[in-house]
Amino acid sequence: MNTRSGLILLFAIFVNGLSALIAQPQATPTPERDLLSRVRRLTVEGRRAGEGYWSPDGKRLVFQSEREPGNPWYQIYAVDLTTGDTVRISPGIGKTTCAFFRPGTDQILFASTHHDPQSKKLQDEELALRASGKERRYAWDYDPEMDIYAVSEKTKAIERLTNARGYDAEASYSSDGQWIAFSSMRDAYNRTLSDAERKQLDVDPSFFGEIYIMRADGTGQRRLTQVNGYDGGPFFSPDAKRVIWRRFDEQGLIADVWTMNLDGSDQRQLTDFKSMSWAPYIHPSGEYLLFASNKLGFENFEVFMVDVAGTKQPVRVTYSDGFDGLPVPSPDGKQLAWTSSRGGGREGQIFLAQWNHEAARTALAAAPPR
Amino acid sequence: MFGHIIRIAAVVALAGLSASAQTATQSKTRAHVQTLASEQLEGRMAGSAGERLAAEYIARELTRIGAKPLPGLTDFFHSFDFTAGTKDAGSTITVTRAGGTPRRFATTDHVQALSFSDSAEVTGPVVFAGYGLVVPESQNFGYDSYVGLDVKDKVVVVLRYFPEDADQKTRAILARYSDLRYKAMAARQRGAKAMLVIAGPRSPNAGATIPMTFDTALAGSGIVAASISGEAGAAIFDGVADNKLEDVQKSMDTGNPHASGFAIPELTVAVKSAVQRETQTGRNVVAYLPASSSMTGVERPWVALGAHYDHLGRGTNGNSLAAKEEAGRIHYGADDNASGTAAVLAVAETLAQQPRGRHVLVGFWSAEEIGLIGSNAFVNKPPVPADQLAAYLNFDMVGRMVDNKLTVQATGTSPVWNRIIEQANVAAGFDLVLQPDPYQPTDVASFNGVSVPALSFFTSTHTDYHRPGDTADKINYDDLDRVVGFAAAIVKRVGDTAEAPQFTKVDQQTDTAGRAGVRVFTGTIPDYATNVKGLLLGGVIGGGPAEIAGLQKGDVIIEIAGQTIANIYDYTYALELLKVGEPVKIVYMRGSARQETTLTPGARK
Repeated sequence: MNTRSGLILLFAIFVNGLSALIAQPQATPTPERDLLSRVRRLTVEGRRAGEGYWSPDGKRLVFQSEREPGNPWYQIYAVDLTTGDTVRISPGIGKTTCAFFRPGTDQILFASTHHDPQSKKLQDEELALRASGKERRYAWDYDPEMDIYAVSEKTKAIERLTNARGYDAEASYSSDGQWIAFSSMRDAYNRTLSDAERKQLDVDPSFFGEIYIMRADGTGQRRLTQVNGYDGGPFFSPDAKRVIWRRFDEQGLIADVWTMNLDGSDQRQLTDFKSMSWAPYIHPSGEYLLFASNKLGFENFEVFMVDVAGTKQPVRVTYSDGFDGLPVPSPDGKQLAWTSSRGGGREGQIFLAQWNHEAARTALAAAPPR
Repeated sequence: MFGHIIRIAAVVALAGLSASAQTATQSKTRAHVQTLASEQLEGRMAGSAGERLAAEYIARELTRIGAKPLPGLTDFFHSFDFTAGTKDAGSTITVTRAGGTPRRFATTDHVQALSFSDSAEVTGPVVFAGYGLVVPESQNFGYDSYVGLDVKDKVVVVLRYFPEDADQKTRAILARYSDLRYKAMAARQRGAKAMLVIAGPRSPNAGATIPMTFDTALAGSGIVAASISGEAGAAIFDGVADNKLEDVQKSMDTGNPHASGFAIPELTVAVKSAVQRETQTGRNVVAYLPASSSMTGVERPWVALGAHYDHLGRGTNGNSLAAKEEAGRIHYGADDNASGTAAVLAVAETLAQQPRGRHVLVGFWSAEEIGLIGSNAFVNKPPVPADQLAAYLNFDMVGRMVDNKLTVQATGTSPVWNRIIEQANVAAGFDLVLQPDPYQPTDVASFNGVSVPALSFFTSTHTDYHRPGDTADKINYDDLDRVVGFAAAIVKRVGDTAEAPQFTKVDQQTDTAGRAGVRVFTGTIPDYATNVKGLLLGGVIGGGPAEIAGLQKGDVIIEIAGQTIANIYDYTYALELLKVGEPVKIVYMRGSARQETTLTPGARK
């Protein structure tokens, strides 16, 4: 179905339409406080923000946000967590998504369509559509022009890392900064499709999404997955020996978290909620991972955690209406950044909290086996 | 003289208290709150000796901080006159039927001027005008009690409230235009000499006159207006064939717009209304910290901070929520609003030690609790013109933070606010709740009214709100100090930018024509800060209808009497339509469980 983040758009709309969703008031104490303390809202400006990823020193966060008057889509920003100052990282034109700091360098990668000569025209059309009071029910379109770039913060030099037709995005670096894992839908464009496949591409291009790996300079691109349905959102394990990602079924309704070796071997399924479990990220301790799932209600995403081998029943982390997802622990493992609609309204924004690692270990130790 | 001596003694005591408290703690705000919410200040009712002591304390602190009197002023006080109370000074009516003996009513249980009435004596024939309701044509809902009636130079008799048996939708519309002031305006515009109001036999408070409500207007509203008893009403209706008041009311109560009033023949009524207004002088405390750099090229060179420092005294003015056994005790107002006052002093102290790109105006408003009077007086005759203010930051109830949640209101007043708030909150780290609406029951509304981009900080309400239990020991000083740091950072970001924030006018969500007002008492305390769909209860008043119905803190009301409740506006609106003593079904969420109960509203006089 969609990017690491696009899910938010879709479900935020459902959430708003359902009056049945009046769940717990947040003033009541919840078990959330055992794991998350001093919850704070990080992003305020703009319609929405999400996908916050930490710099290796934990002092900055790079994220995507719709916040500039001339562009209706996400651009990439980095906020300094000491001063509060925010700078735009991406060119400002077209659509972008999914940024990541490259360890050991001044580079930040993200996916973008800015090279597409149509970009400005598409932006203006979208703005006109929104000004008329309409809104696409589902804005994420897996633009085949989406490619992966890395920009140097010092020199501003932009390096294009992929150029295959088809959506290339959802990329992240290994901890040594030498490798990139990403998702691509190029398989739908680089060969002759059957009639059934062409129909499938019209309905849902994400069906063709597969996990790839490449060197940080874009060379050595290699496909790791071969299964129908949207494979996306890959991240390296802290020791850079495995990739963790989420795999949707062919219908795009059920997703689960998987891991595999860097050559695509030893693929193992870690979750089995029979719901959408996605956006996994491994805690820097390497002991467990956090992910989002709508197990508790189609439109109610919560953050869960599970041991890294997936032997336990996942433990619920967040307790709030609407959307909580895209959890990313800080490099020191003591904070959590995630995207949530708990601030009110229909759109997600980024929240931070103190993360209680010891309480997480205790809760996982006590969790029953899967 | 006596009062003067007491005052000096108390000032000396206060000076000692603040010094010792300040050495005892590192908090920037604790000593201020403890002083302002102390016994000696007696709840700081506007115009009281306690409030004067508070003003003097604030002025001394401003001197210590190094603030200066505003340009054109010689000290820190900005005085204004306001009506501190009204009482009936002997209103009467005399009903005379042609050829009959005049019947005179003179006691307040039979006739009582409305607080906004002119004081005058008028005589005239009588026209009954139903509920006296006029819905403006713009509402596309035809309802005009005066259709076909000539009320020029006559005494109009109207029913209180709005048709009791009309369907929900009709009641919802009519309720908005049933405010007594609005009814009096409609009568006056049609040339009536006087308006008499009767609470009909089928309404709440049937047959009772209306106690003089607190009204802060300095003058009357241009018409003689009084409420009369059922007995006085009967004297008027006696001569109308087949028209007992109860039957007359019943014919009106369906809300049928064609049920009309009528002239009452062969009858004159003399109305003498006497309203005595007690005028007092209130004092805002105002000062500024001059900019530390050249102001060349700086647009709107002032940035303002403010908080009201008055409170309810002993709660005798009608907006106390004290339980019966607490009535008459000092309402300390530690959170409301010693906390905000302390925050402004502490922000000023912080800014006094930093470079300032704009002049920083600090204002401490009097008479907020009785209708934003102090801040209104300031913006109406400002020592610094409103168009010179780049922004205004308001603090009202910022001392009871729970779960790191800080509500920032009025964020819709400028497109720059979200960015500035985001930047400042990276360091402050609050779980922010943002409310774009500037039409809040606090002084931020006064500044929004003169087109100044504004923000208001609030840590939500609690069960001690407007009660004697709002004391200094319950203030969360660590988090109050964090609010100070956050606000100082926002002022700095506004102050250091040459361009001023652009003002955005936010559309008001509720109709301003006048409202029936909530006439029932439910004993619920809404939590304004938390975003849930429905109405989250921050608490319930002990022994009140909500508690009796089994509701408790944390419950979320989602339906009242078949009306779904999505937010505080829906809730207030639904309450207006409830009837005293008539049980209604309440649907609420407790945790994730949907539950129902029955609540029987009591009367709010």
